[in-house]
Amino acid sequence: MIEVTGLTKSYGKSRGIDNISFSIPEGQIVGFLGPNGAGKTTTMNIITGYLSAGAGDVKIAGIDVLENPLGAKRHIGYLPEQPPLYPGMTVEEYLDFAYELKGVKSPDQQEHIGQICDMTGLSDVYRRVIGHLSKGYKQRVGLAQALIGDPDVLILDEPTVGLDPRQIVEIRGVIKEMGKSRTIILSTHILPEVSAVCERVLVISAGVIVADDKPENLAGSVGGERTLVVRVAGPKDGVQSLLRGQDGVQSAQPLGEMESGSHDFLVESKPNLDIRKPLFAALAKAGYPILMLRPQDASLEDIFLKLTEEELPGSKPSSPGSPKAKRGEKKEDGPDGISGDGKGDD
Amino acid sequence: MLAVFKRDFKAYFTSAIGYIYLGAYIFVLNLIFYLNNALGASASLAGVFSFMLLVMMFITPILTMRVFSEDFKQKTDQLLFTSPVKLSGIVVGKYLSSLAVFVCLLLLTLLWPFAISFFGENNIAEVVGNYAGILCIGSAYIAMGVFISSLTENQVVAAVGSLGLFVALYLLEVLPLVFFQSTLPAFVMRALYFFSIFGRYSSITRGVLALDDIVYFLSISAVFLFLTVRGLEKRRWA
Repeated sequence: MIEVTGLTKSYGKSRGIDNISFSIPEGQIVGFLGPNGAGKTTTMNIITGYLSAGAGDVKIAGIDVLENPLGAKRHIGYLPEQPPLYPGMTVEEYLDFAYELKGVKSPDQQEHIGQICDMTGLSDVYRRVIGHLSKGYKQRVGLAQALIGDPDVLILDEPTVGLDPRQIVEIRGVIKEMGKSRTIILSTHILPEVSAVCERVLVISAGVIVADDKPENLAGSVGGERTLVVRVAGPKDGVQSLLRGQDGVQSAQPLGEMESGSHDFLVESKPNLDIRKPLFAALAKAGYPILMLRPQDASLEDIFLKLTEEELPGSKPSSPGSPKAKRGEKKEDGPDGISGDGKGDD
Repeated sequence: MLAVFKRDFKAYFTSAIGYIYLGAYIFVLNLIFYLNNALGASASLAGVFSFMLLVMMFITPILTMRVFSEDFKQKTDQLLFTSPVKLSGIVVGKYLSSLAVFVCLLLLTLLWPFAISFFGENNIAEVVGNYAGILCIGSAYIAMGVFISSLTENQVVAAVGSLGLFVALYLLEVLPLVFFQSTLPAFVMRALYFFSIFGRYSSITRGVLALDDIVYFLSISAVFLFLTVRGLEKRRWA
């Protein structure tokens, strides 16, 4: 449905995005993940025809965006990072405008817009002026605008930014619902969103795609099941030495006292070894009851940090996590480092 | 194109801009009409119309400053430019919406010949000529304003820029005529006269509506609209 090959766009000397290629089959929801300035928005703007690429092609439903822009745009609904709203118009006027602007040919305009309003929960504010709506509602109006004309491809740039938790859940529901019959690309830097909504993740960093997989596979690829968090009732030193002495345990770090009378430890096992059972037996035998034992899955955050860090040349993984320190390093590293900053995303 | 035209035209009157524009214009022009025609007991509108051009220079920027700048600022240009509409359609739609507000103004001023008809006799040729002429020149000014507005996302910059352009064009033709007429070679003067907005307009206010003048003003409009489309296209490649 969406075919992107060799997309490149530079801003001045810095590379915005560099040779991005991917293809998305019909009906897939794809998460576009990356730090700020990685080139997510740029890529989306090129796909929707708002910007032109320096090199490379975009095909929507087999139509080249450059050769037949109007034909390709007819297939796309786009919600940009900042919803393109006219604050002086009412929701009704605005959606009517979008309907006319897109030249939608549906049998009944009011019914079509009504359905979209029901779907996005706008019916209550239908006659209100957009400028007076809360950010969450504005976001929904933007989403409704993207849905007008029932496009088969939806490009959503950070659709849940600025929403409260309930609205986020609602909007995700809407997106999932729509994804049943449409191809959707949504960009985000909120990681749980990706696992909640997307079937596939594209991680982009410094203008290059660094990973392309299912969310659960990504978690597996970094291998998170080797570390366990254990909460044990007992003296800190005694438990720690016991843990360290256990077969198969590579290291045991105390995490502190989270619950009075107990201590938490981060236990790392040797590769490909399940130490939970022996650990349980050993601690029980020593009279230190386990209050909690959970594998510390590499969350998408970890994966994300790992993947995007690898892409930053010169930034040492061992360096402390302070963003300031990293940024300083990057700058000294010369032109590549600066391109990693990828300005011009806005 | 129609959707853009309708929205933009309506937007002039849901915001204060349309009213400020019409109000300021009508206030100044009616004052002139009063001084020139009522107190001066004249039935000729030529005086008012020649003054109108001067007013237009200063007030047109109010009309055109928001045309594209506002969309850039609100990011609504992303909606316009990613919709299946041709760029030229968007530009022409916006241009026509500004022109339509200007036409509203002209309709309001029809009160003048109407008032004169009670106390004297209108010179029909002069009235028709003046209205046709001012419409052409207004169209040219609006096209220039739309172009300037497509260059910036700041409405103030757009307004000052358009004003600067209008004043510069004015000075370009007035200064040589006043100061350098004897020193500049004849062909330069002829060229200046050919491109002169005010020179052409003054013959229109006298009631001489020549085809070449109309073609001239319409070509200015077309050229600036074309430049706007090209400029917007270039933005995409920036």
